[in-house]
Amino acid sequence: MTKAAALAGHKNSLRGQVAIIGIGLSPVGKVPGRSPLWLAAAAAKQALADAGIQKSEIDGVLASPAMAAQFHRFSVAFSEYFGVQPTFSNTLQVSGATAATMFNIAAAAIHGGLAETVLVVGGDSLLSGLTPELALRSLTESRDQQYEMPFGIPVANTFAMTAHRHMKEFGTTPEQLAQVAVTQRQHAARTPGAQQTAPITIEEVLNSKMVTTPYRKLDCSLISDGGAAFVLTSAERAKALGIEKPIYILGGGECYTHEHIFLMPSLTTTGAVQSSGKAYAMAGYGPKDMHTAGVYDCFTGTVIMMLEDLGFCPKGEGGRFVADGQMTYGGQIPSNTHGGLLSFAHSGIPGSLFHFHEVVAQLRGECGERQVAGAELGLVHSLGAGFATNATTILGTENTL
Amino acid sequence: MISLEDAARKPLPSPDADTAALWHGLRDGRLLLQHCDDCGNVQFYQQGFCRHCSGENLTHRPASGRGKVHSFSVVHRAPGPAFKGDVPYAVLLVELAEGPRMISTYTGGKPDEVTFDMDVTLVCEPVSDEIALPRFRRA
Repeated sequence: MTKAAALAGHKNSLRGQVAIIGIGLSPVGKVPGRSPLWLAAAAAKQALADAGIQKSEIDGVLASPAMAAQFHRFSVAFSEYFGVQPTFSNTLQVSGATAATMFNIAAAAIHGGLAETVLVVGGDSLLSGLTPELALRSLTESRDQQYEMPFGIPVANTFAMTAHRHMKEFGTTPEQLAQVAVTQRQHAARTPGAQQTAPITIEEVLNSKMVTTPYRKLDCSLISDGGAAFVLTSAERAKALGIEKPIYILGGGECYTHEHIFLMPSLTTTGAVQSSGKAYAMAGYGPKDMHTAGVYDCFTGTVIMMLEDLGFCPKGEGGRFVADGQMTYGGQIPSNTHGGLLSFAHSGIPGSLFHFHEVVAQLRGECGERQVAGAELGLVHSLGAGFATNATTILGTENTL
Repeated sequence: MISLEDAARKPLPSPDADTAALWHGLRDGRLLLQHCDDCGNVQFYQQGFCRHCSGENLTHRPASGRGKVHSFSVVHRAPGPAFKGDVPYAVLLVELAEGPRMISTYTGGKPDEVTFDMDVTLVCEPVSDEIALPRFRRA
């Protein structure tokens, strides 16, 4: 019995029902003189061209909000700017986890008949559209104004306290944190258009300026401009359109464990355990089946904790796993092969859409010299707000259905 | 969008219907925790329902003020202009003797003194006529 047949009992599952048929990226990094709407529209235009469809064929638009754009309804403003009038639309906001939720919700909307062809899109200009201090302050404003912000706790600090405790409990070292940055920089060096491509060493990471212990400058993700967009439609319509390599959504899961960092149930085990558990169960695959992954990497320690919680290695082993080369080519799970938020680009919430772009490109076999040979199954994990929000999506080629 | 002028000011809590008693207590030097009369749950911060059993019979009792540092991070790069003059400062995740955890900052010493599981004691530091912030010093 095939996996699909085994799952046939889950008649409401969206496993394999929806395909990604087009992907697009705006220029990323420092893109002066371009608004968040332009960045989103540039990516959308490319995604439509990639899918080979007209914008009139889009009936749904899901967007992430942009800090550098003063629109309360970014998806609606985007639709006007792009010249479409969708009959399904929303602007989603669960911080860094928004990207994976956009795919989960777009798939559910298509499977449930709310829309036939959905554009998933995001763009922001945190580097050129805001001064650095206002960009930072905008990030800190996402923390609670009563019990967190009066103490001057940047969002970086919430993640730093989790990594710090991870070091205390499991002996994770600054060198192991640094290895994540070094590995991802090596990946970015082979990615056209990446924001940071100059090689770095562990010593350089350890000697970079302290931001908030244990994180130094090179442990932190970039601040960037950039947008990404995707066209999703039903598996039937993807076939009818003659799409050469549709990439299917096999599973999705989310988990929201707390709002305030002081109510996080455990600082070292996160809601990614539940969100990925749900996604794996729906997909009928486990972590050992994945060929590549996009793992949210706002900070180096975040990646180490996620490699554990996503099931790629046992709890507490993430540091050693990374030091052993298991998150790069030849290792167990080549991750963030585009360079991630640490080296490719991080334009706020759209940042995790870049992970989707890379994993889809890997599964389509389009990554050239950074291609993971034979990649057919991939996972993207998005998270945000000090691990308050977690969302996982599992993607696969036609062979994996 | 936030203006430069606003970004230079430290954010202060604005007590509301849910949180007024907590902030009034701190102004008087007491950290109030809510004890659920129905299930015994002790919670920080003040709200209208018990987070465990959804009961509404909640009683405020002052905390002992004793706690341990569960985790911490010393801020070297301030989150915006308002905190630039304070760096480096240690943000603490304190586990109170009564159970709940809370965010605070270290006071009465240098940030590099802070260690995991260090015993700390509450200090209520006035920052305006209405507001005192709960900080912690070494016990």
